[in-house]
Amino acid sequence: MGDLDYVGKRILRKDGPEKVTGKAIYSVDIQLRGKLVGRILRSPHAHARILNIDTRRALQVPGVKSIITAKDTLGIKHGFVETPRYPADQYPLAMDKVRFVGEEVAAVAATDRYAADEALDLIEVEYEVLPAVFDPEEAMLSGAPEIHPTHPKVNEGLSNIGGKTTSVWGDVEAGFKEADYIREDRFESHLRTHGYLEPQATVASFESDGKLNVWTSSQGPFIKRAKLAKTLGLPQSSVRVKKAYVGGAFGGKIDLFSHEFCAALLSMKTSRPVEIIATREEIFTAYRHGQPLIVTVKTGVKKDGTIVAQQLKTINNSGAYRGSGVVVIFLAWGFTMAPYRVPNLKYDGYSVYTNNPIRTPQRGHGAPQLRFAVESQLDMIAEELGLDPMEIRLKNARESGEMLPNGDNVHNCGLKDCLLDIAKHTDFKNKFGSKQGKSGRFRKGIGVGVSSYFGGSLIYPNSSSVLVKMNDDGSVTLLTGAMDIGQGAETILSQIVAEELKIPMEEIQVVAADTETTPVDIGSWISGNAYVCGNAARVAAGDVREKLKALAARELEADTRDLVVKDKRVHVKGSPDRSLSYAHLVALSIQKHRGDPIIGNGHWRTMRDEPTHPSLASTKGRWTENYAFDAQTAEVEVDTETGKVKLLKAVTAHDCGFPINPMLVEGQIDGQISMALGHAFLEEVMMEEGRTLNPSWLDYRMPSIRDMANSEYIDIITEKYRIGKPYRTKEVGEGYVSAILAAIANAIYDAVGVRLFSTPFTPEKILRGLGKIK
Amino acid sequence: MYLPKFMIERPESPEEAATLLKVRKESRLVAGGTELFPRMKYGLCSPEFIISLKGSKISRPRVTPEGMLILDAKMSLTAINSSPEIQEKAPLLAMAAGRVATREIRNMGTLGGNLCQETRCLYFNQKHTFQFREPCFKRGGEQCYFIPKGNKCWAVFMSDLAPALFCLDASINIVGSGGVRQIEIHKLYTHDPLKPISLKADEIVTKIIIPKNEGTSGSGFAKFTMRGGMEFAGVNIGVFVETEKDLHTCKGARITVGAISGWPQRAPEAETFLEGKDLTDDIITAASRKITENMKIVPHHGYTKGYLTECLKSQAKTALTDATNAIIGAT
Amino acid sequence: MSTNQKQLLELSINGESYELAVACQETLLEVLRNRLGLTGTKEGCGTGECGSCTVLLEGEPVLACLLLALDCENKQIETIEGQSLEGRMTPVQEAFLEKGAVQCGFCTPGMVMASTALLKRNPDPNEEDIMESLEGHLCRCTGYNKIMESVQHAAKSYPEKS
Repeated sequence: MGDLDYVGKRILRKDGPEKVTGKAIYSVDIQLRGKLVGRILRSPHAHARILNIDTRRALQVPGVKSIITAKDTLGIKHGFVETPRYPADQYPLAMDKVRFVGEEVAAVAATDRYAADEALDLIEVEYEVLPAVFDPEEAMLSGAPEIHPTHPKVNEGLSNIGGKTTSVWGDVEAGFKEADYIREDRFESHLRTHGYLEPQATVASFESDGKLNVWTSSQGPFIKRAKLAKTLGLPQSSVRVKKAYVGGAFGGKIDLFSHEFCAALLSMKTSRPVEIIATREEIFTAYRHGQPLIVTVKTGVKKDGTIVAQQLKTINNSGAYRGSGVVVIFLAWGFTMAPYRVPNLKYDGYSVYTNNPIRTPQRGHGAPQLRFAVESQLDMIAEELGLDPMEIRLKNARESGEMLPNGDNVHNCGLKDCLLDIAKHTDFKNKFGSKQGKSGRFRKGIGVGVSSYFGGSLIYPNSSSVLVKMNDDGSVTLLTGAMDIGQGAETILSQIVAEELKIPMEEIQVVAADTETTPVDIGSWISGNAYVCGNAARVAAGDVREKLKALAARELEADTRDLVVKDKRVHVKGSPDRSLSYAHLVALSIQKHRGDPIIGNGHWRTMRDEPTHPSLASTKGRWTENYAFDAQTAEVEVDTETGKVKLLKAVTAHDCGFPINPMLVEGQIDGQISMALGHAFLEEVMMEEGRTLNPSWLDYRMPSIRDMANSEYIDIITEKYRIGKPYRTKEVGEGYVSAILAAIANAIYDAVGVRLFSTPFTPEKILRGLGKIK
Repeated sequence: MYLPKFMIERPESPEEAATLLKVRKESRLVAGGTELFPRMKYGLCSPEFIISLKGSKISRPRVTPEGMLILDAKMSLTAINSSPEIQEKAPLLAMAAGRVATREIRNMGTLGGNLCQETRCLYFNQKHTFQFREPCFKRGGEQCYFIPKGNKCWAVFMSDLAPALFCLDASINIVGSGGVRQIEIHKLYTHDPLKPISLKADEIVTKIIIPKNEGTSGSGFAKFTMRGGMEFAGVNIGVFVETEKDLHTCKGARITVGAISGWPQRAPEAETFLEGKDLTDDIITAASRKITENMKIVPHHGYTKGYLTECLKSQAKTALTDATNAIIGAT
Repeated sequence: MSTNQKQLLELSINGESYELAVACQETLLEVLRNRLGLTGTKEGCGTGECGSCTVLLEGEPVLACLLLALDCENKQIETIEGQSLEGRMTPVQEAFLEKGAVQCGFCTPGMVMASTALLKRNPDPNEEDIMESLEGHLCRCTGYNKIMESVQHAAKSYPEKS
């Protein structure tokens, strides 16, 4: 008990001053003496055998120091997922085949970029072009060009299957028989991309003592270290991935990238630092994009809207390698079964290879695509049954303490409150379906969507650990492997430590994201920073606090239970004059405990007692203890002349547990609303036969300030932060980009009666829906 | 992305610039750099010499005794947008200049540069190191990626200022190594997307001359983009309308549409239709539909022809309504 | 000057004078970042499409990636580093911090420079003015909401023109 001084407060970012003064160093800013420029040679073919690579002429270019191809590597594969069922399938440099336009074939290190690019032009590659396939449903047909052999465990006569997820519970056939109304619909989502402002960038420096130092723009250094070490044949202790700020990632900088490997290997060969920075155009063409999902959903309901059965099939276009495709089809199941009660469910997800650049998680990782499908259909069902969208959702929404079919418990689920509050806040009942604002050129509409997200579930490295070191003067140094990719990781961890130890934020120094000096962290792509790393920090700080209290108890001749910490002091409850400063206690510890300077150690893991993560293929197994829920409304305005849709206002009611830093949470919500409206109206990676047509900021239309939507938040607090106690506060980094997309789709229907089954909701689709274009 | 190597010349006069353009083979003129430098970084051209007008003195807008407005082609787009003389005498141009790209680009880009920009196409405006390597027609090759069965180039001309100047009946002054000449603005365009600008290799645009406008008139400029700013137009349209003294009977209209083909297009059917008519909402709507008759509409940058047709009607309505309101004095 | 030999150039950046030899094709952005170690100005694309490289040239926001260094002689250049020279932050910088407008921070220097120029030009901007000034600046993290709030907040605390 006692008031919280730091957690829950709008504390300013710790890294704010560095960033706002231009002092923050990102991977692109690393300057090392003698640095060479590295460039990558990319395949112009979507599918081809590599017959021969001749680098002799290229090596003659003055300034070129080294050229590498697959022959110079150990031939060790890597992959986003590396399990026995889904082994690594990618070489860092193409070995015998290229499978997408832009695939990495060779790399050059030279003294300047002119020499490097000149050398690239002179590398002669002999290809035997093979037939290619780009559409996943075509790639699945037997007889389609084989990109990789179909997964041995999928015996359905299909080609190019990278993986499959199947989940069945209950009896869907029986369920559908009981249903009063059944709908089946197909929804398609398009290819979108992350749009991080800082390009992919790596500087690698192989030192004379055999140490490889790497700075790379990433979402977590430990996975990079592991994969670099593996593919380079170095012990992990020889690879150090060092801290640099990250200019955004959103899922696009997680696993090993060819250029990271190449920078490292080129450095090993030249004994000089090598820097590879991808051009924006390379990023838009050859780097990872998000996953376009085809979702077919059949839902059976009772007259009163209760869901009795649901059958889904998803098809993911994973690109030329497995990437995270097998994860997104698993997650799509999760995003289906979590928010609503579905007593009978059959889910099949296919991840399909095509000759396209590899796809990777993008914020939401399947949730936006899936919730768009399910929520759109739910509104159509509601309309058919004469129910309103809120009613039907309240009927099916999960409640606190409910068990999920996989054995997880949703614990403190606030979804119903999210729906009730948001309905009230937005006057939804009166606005939805009303005639007001629906005549004339500009028509307004409102829609609702629901989503759920999970926090920090098991993924390599599976653990977050934090060390809290006391300094002589009672200030603290916090060591964490957590990577701040903009979400404020370092700040919230400091807030937690500040709260547990009652130390001002300014007296906490954060050392982060260095594989050598900081303990392991699960990485910033699994929505686990606040939950997993935060709890680790809490434990570490608590460890320090208990040591301080134990010392103080002896000195003050008091019971530890009667001691409180405040203002860097430990004092007896009710007798503030009977106190000792942290500085004094540290000195005392050293004196009385044979030199113990007081270092607190904490670690945490999701599903702490589960040996392993659930099966990606069968979904069996416990997944996480941390489910977050949200309901979002979108108020849109449709211009019936141009078809342009504007998101006027987004309201997010989120069951967030408790916010560690409300200002940071708001920032996350705003950013996700922006990404969702981009996904909805503006952004599309236009591809043709594996080639990107719009590889520039100009033509990949990410929202600008003019597209900014009014964003409001309703926090449904379902938990309190209690000092010394574990918490489950929910993720806020990915969950708000999904329901809003669905809400937008439903709002468009409310505004102009046009139901869209595919994203993006382009002006053309709107005008077609209105009958203005045939 | 980085610039290829080149040498730079800084002429002190347009005549010297013209001579340098003639004498230095493989040379290109640059003023603001916002159009040429990105193209060079994308590897679309690699001149040996840059003839730079940066740093040359820029004359202020000048109104002649006869009431003509003379503008230095080196004026920045920001200067045009905020110039009191242009806002008063040629508001359509000021409006159009304010809609170009972003503030930073407007600070750097010039009037002349905007008028003489290259045509654009998704397949053209990107690097070709591993995509679309075989050159298309515009890159000196033998094919078009956009219309694979086609035998010509479909790149589009996306300037926002050109339609405005067409409507204003502007002329341009050109200095070449052979001397000076003046042409009507529409003669600047070849109607060939491969080489859209009619200037000879050694010619530069020095001045834009806007004739005096005697009567009661109003202008409107509409530009469709997916986002507010930043972008080239899906379609843009400039409208200049003159009325009788009653402020609502149309005496004449000049309408020019851009971005949907390789050159700016007038809309003579719509212009004729409006003559003598009362500028009501219904007439404006009817005129907007007429604009699409006989208008060459080329799909581009992800927009289809069907969409652009509808969108043009909408933009036309907006521009005509704005022009009409400007005459009445309504905001 | 018909040679690709490097030319001696004097640049005035944040009130300080730098003398260096540059080649014709070196942009101001490259000189700032690679030659002078002023890495606060960022390259998000290099082709003028994102605003990350915005600096002030004679007080006006321009894109350093499209400016030749040679064209910047005898002109006052201001970069993000010059905003807090004496260790104190400007009202714009303070506002960005207080209002939570900084997440990954990569767009921040460009946003700060453009906002600073806006407020010098127009100390009392409305929402449209702010949008017009910042529409060339891409941000993927914040959704722009808190950036808008920051500029509005900074306008309130901006010192009157002396």
